[in-house]
Amino acid sequence: MMKKRLTSLALVMAMAGSLAACGGSSAPETAAPAADGTTAAETKAEAKTEAAADGKTVLKWAMWDKDLTVYYQPLIEGFEAAHPDVTVELVDLGSSDYQTVLATQLTGSGSDFDVVTIKDVPGYTTLVNKGVLEPLDDYIAKDSVDLAAFKGLTDQITVDGKLYELPFRSDFWVVYYNKDVFDNAGAAYPTNDMTFEEYDTLARSLTVDVPGQEVYGAHYHTWRSAIQLFGILDGKNTILDGSYDFLKPYYEMILAQQEDGVCQDYATLKTSSLHYSGAFSQGNVAMMNMGTWFIPTMIDKIKAGEYTDCTNWGIVKYPHAEGVEPGSTLATITALSIPATAKDKDLSWDFVKFVCGEEGADILAGTGTIPAMMNDDIAGMIASMDGYPEDENSKEALQTANLYLEMPVHAKSSEIETVLNEAHDNIMTGNMTIDEGIADMNEKVTAILAQ
Amino acid sequence: MAKTKQIDPAEVSRKLAVLEPQLKELQQKEEAETDPKKKVKLAKRIDRVREKMRQTKTGERLSRQSKRDLVAYTFLVPNFVGFAVFTLGPVIFAFILAFLKWDGNNPMQFAGLDNFMAMLGNKRFLASLRNTVVYCIGTVPLTLVAALGLAVLLNQKIKGRNFFRTVSFFPYVASLVAVAAVWNMLFSPAKSGPVNMILYNLGVSAKSLPKWSADKNWVMFTVILFSVWKNMGYYMVIYLAGLQGINSELYEACSLDGANTWQRFRYITWPQLQPTTFFVTVMLTINCFKVYDIVYMLAGGSSGVLNESAIVLVYHIYEEAFRNWNLGYASAAAMVLFLMVLAITLIQFQGEKKYAN
Repeated sequence: MMKKRLTSLALVMAMAGSLAACGGSSAPETAAPAADGTTAAETKAEAKTEAAADGKTVLKWAMWDKDLTVYYQPLIEGFEAAHPDVTVELVDLGSSDYQTVLATQLTGSGSDFDVVTIKDVPGYTTLVNKGVLEPLDDYIAKDSVDLAAFKGLTDQITVDGKLYELPFRSDFWVVYYNKDVFDNAGAAYPTNDMTFEEYDTLARSLTVDVPGQEVYGAHYHTWRSAIQLFGILDGKNTILDGSYDFLKPYYEMILAQQEDGVCQDYATLKTSSLHYSGAFSQGNVAMMNMGTWFIPTMIDKIKAGEYTDCTNWGIVKYPHAEGVEPGSTLATITALSIPATAKDKDLSWDFVKFVCGEEGADILAGTGTIPAMMNDDIAGMIASMDGYPEDENSKEALQTANLYLEMPVHAKSSEIETVLNEAHDNIMTGNMTIDEGIADMNEKVTAILAQ
Repeated sequence: MAKTKQIDPAEVSRKLAVLEPQLKELQQKEEAETDPKKKVKLAKRIDRVREKMRQTKTGERLSRQSKRDLVAYTFLVPNFVGFAVFTLGPVIFAFILAFLKWDGNNPMQFAGLDNFMAMLGNKRFLASLRNTVVYCIGTVPLTLVAALGLAVLLNQKIKGRNFFRTVSFFPYVASLVAVAAVWNMLFSPAKSGPVNMILYNLGVSAKSLPKWSADKNWVMFTVILFSVWKNMGYYMVIYLAGLQGINSELYEACSLDGANTWQRFRYITWPQLQPTTFFVTVMLTINCFKVYDIVYMLAGGSSGVLNESAIVLVYHIYEEAFRNWNLGYASAAAMVLFLMVLAITLIQFQGEKKYAN
């Protein structure tokens, strides 16, 4: 009996141990670096002499997907050519939970990153709240960097008048379409100037629901942003309003499409975890809204012969609400920040300035990636890439009018994101009606905003 | 060895003069005592006095018992240091953290019971509590029955016994990610999903087919079913060991008395398995409260965010700690979970006294 009691006790202990791992084991004892964070800029000169063994200064850069991303190496080579005494070292934190890992690394004083990549806005807000990022305003003023080149994106990520990150990559949403599907149906290709009604009609006209030979007029990935954020493109509402009645017509449109087999069923897509690239490359999807990050993938996979059913593709601008300028779309940014604990912040800033500036933008565009600093030359560079669709519409689709961030900066953005994701899921699976889902969002987001 | 000190005869006789009357007094008491428990206590005190007298005479600093104790502690130290640093310390820290407000970087603030009050108003916490309890209530008895049933069947001398044992154990060793994907494919919410196809052919209308893990009313059921299937093999093995420990003479005697199969099970197998059942129940219940991965894999989708219909306590703790960085709140929730498990364990300790002996 004693033995079993011990076993049970041991189990309780193991349980407690695993709880602690969840609850607080990542937590160091002091919060010192945060307190120092604001004054660290003044004392940066002292740390400047720190150097690696071979006399070269090492710059540690936190990022993800080292081997899958084409632009890290050219960027590093470009920077090292300009700074012969510096070696840039990449630290791959993995893509799926990058922001969580980064936040954990920057918690406490243990990390030694000089530059960190910021993957999304909620993650950015979290780090700013934690006080682990260095404000960049002084550096920007000192080197008179022109923020106008970022097309207003930097205004959307300013927190309390301070900017803590500088975007180097900016992707925006477009509509990908499979020309073969349109040709087979004898339909005209979509254009850069479609209203949502025209888009809906077009998608429906292409749909074939014969079992075994289904063609879907549209495809929506399971992300909230793929459907919910149609609603903010008229510029009248934001996703942080606390009142979401404006989403109703868009949900009605998509749910009707789902009901009629115009797009695949959300619940099935969710449980099968079908990737959007898998859906589009099967060749039975006419149109799919997705970010420009999919362009290099399409080009590469078609070249490699992996995608054989969607080789004849094109891009057009997002559909727009009645009376709104075409080219308004959603944007996500990938940005660089300097952690408050960085050793030599001037050097870190040099690197940030290089990657986010014109030289970096040229290098990025050369790899098919859309840089945050966008002008006509760079758009032309991407559009003239080998493998990019050759029609004029696809080239013009890269010109955007208004860019809205998928999630604007807000202290509570990660809590709000959870509520919005949950409501989206409930509406799309039919667990809630549209009205119930919207009421749920209104109630919960208002409660979060009131805290 | 330098363990003996200089013996001063005068000092020794002075100490012995004190100790000897003590010893005598205790011995008399012991003889006069009738209560056996008190007698044992007195005997122990006598031993201690004797040991002191021996130490005084020989001049040793440490008694034999303390020497033995020291050796034992030396062996325990390496393990204990690891436990203290990696388990005990963080546990204590988490308990303190439950009363603080902290995001990991900014200075900690004392929050009193705010974290616990916030829990009561947090719909996601209440949903996770409800789902965890539902999951436990569903999983524990079902797994127990399935495991016991399998064990009894596979304890008999049937053809291909080892094959079937392996088949039952396989889900437990298979990768969770892989089998969850297969499970979601079988229980696809579409009409063309294999399970739904069967239901449809059995006459369930297309509209009312369940969407399984994407359906708020069916998601916990799907998770419970999956969990039972995945874990029953493991508990089956424990039950098999228990079954083989039952004395076959009991069955012999039983069949001489003309008991049928059910009676054999009811009056021999089941009572003899009481200790095993107790152990399995403790393990299962505690594991059920810790569930996280199964729900995440089945109902998380591509965003990895669990809905109120599927969220469980451990996930809620994770989400608050590492998505929202409310470390204090998350620790408070962890403490609630800990107290629940502790309460269950204490209840089961009570039950153990009744059953296991």
